[in-house]
Amino acid sequence: MSAEGKHEDIDELSAQNLPSVISAAQELRSPLALIRQLSLSLEDGENTGEEQKLMLRQISLTSEKALRLTDDLTKSAKLKKGLFELEPINARQLCEDIVSELTPVFLAHERNVKLISPRKTSSLLVANRDLLKRILISLSDNALHYANKDSSVEIQIHTINKGKIVRLGVRDYGPALHKSTIKSLGKKITNSSPTMINARPRSSGLSLYIASQFADVINGEIGVTRHRNGSTFYIDLHASRQLSLI
Amino acid sequence: MKNWTVLVVEDDHWLAQQFQRILEKAGLSVILARNAHDAIDIIDETPIDVIVLDILLTGSTAFALLHELQSYGDTGNIPVILCTNLSDELSIKDLRPYGVDLIMDKTKMKPSDLITAVSGVLG
Repeated sequence: MSAEGKHEDIDELSAQNLPSVISAAQELRSPLALIRQLSLSLEDGENTGEEQKLMLRQISLTSEKALRLTDDLTKSAKLKKGLFELEPINARQLCEDIVSELTPVFLAHERNVKLISPRKTSSLLVANRDLLKRILISLSDNALHYANKDSSVEIQIHTINKGKIVRLGVRDYGPALHKSTIKSLGKKITNSSPTMINARPRSSGLSLYIASQFADVINGEIGVTRHRNGSTFYIDLHASRQLSLI
Repeated sequence: MKNWTVLVVEDDHWLAQQFQRILEKAGLSVILARNAHDAIDIIDETPIDVIVLDILLTGSTAFALLHELQSYGDTGNIPVILCTNLSDELSIKDLRPYGVDLIMDKTKMKPSDLITAVSGVLG
């Protein structure tokens, strides 16, 4: 390939990736700005021991959230169907693990996270464990930001379509999504690039876009249900037939 | 510093707390609002001397609040400091008619800049 040809390829690639790069930069600005503000205040040294402890905790939790995003971005750039092994997963167990992992972050934000899963609901589904975990954590991060203070974010497990589909939802109790947002959301999720979700401007759509890419690789589908007092973002996945074969 | 009351409208609770710490240490009273709707309720009930406002808020954006403030004679006079990550995309010239006195860049400001800004707009 000629040098000129290579340049054209790079230009084309850059143009394709530009919306994602811009979204990623915008999405990372908020946590970085917060970390910077807290660090500068710590440098000033005018805080009580209690304040210092709180600020350091906020710095580490904010850094972890930003790192999760960069990690997801890196992974999403290398996504290819077939590269990720699909296996039967006990969704209840996975969700319990996620709730345990996220509880300290939620408590630090004066919110709670809990699992709602009727015992009778079969929760065996087919997916890739790592990608499904990333999707649910991403939806939970989003819910955390919009959940009202002292409210609980619920990770819910249901079966639909006569048990053929397992729906894993993340329900927040916060501001409702506008009807027009729901309509445009469908387009955004399947869009080739992330865009802002108007009624929830802080969720730039980037994490939702990445989650939808992950969902696609594991044959899942992301959707949203609007409630008067919040929203449920969910992923539908095929139930595992392993149990019915036994 | 005089006992002014600052309304901080910011939906990132930890950043709002941080602004509150800085301003309170400078002797100011601080009230936090998470969105434009809560901010309007607070302004209706409490005399506010200056508003520190983020642009991207949950629900309505800051512009809805700015419009609401400009609709009434008393609230239209409250100085507003926009504190945002989007300062590159905003011009103070365009925003002055909406009551904005100053734009601060969250990604570049130092903690003490907030105190300087508040005392600056309050004279």
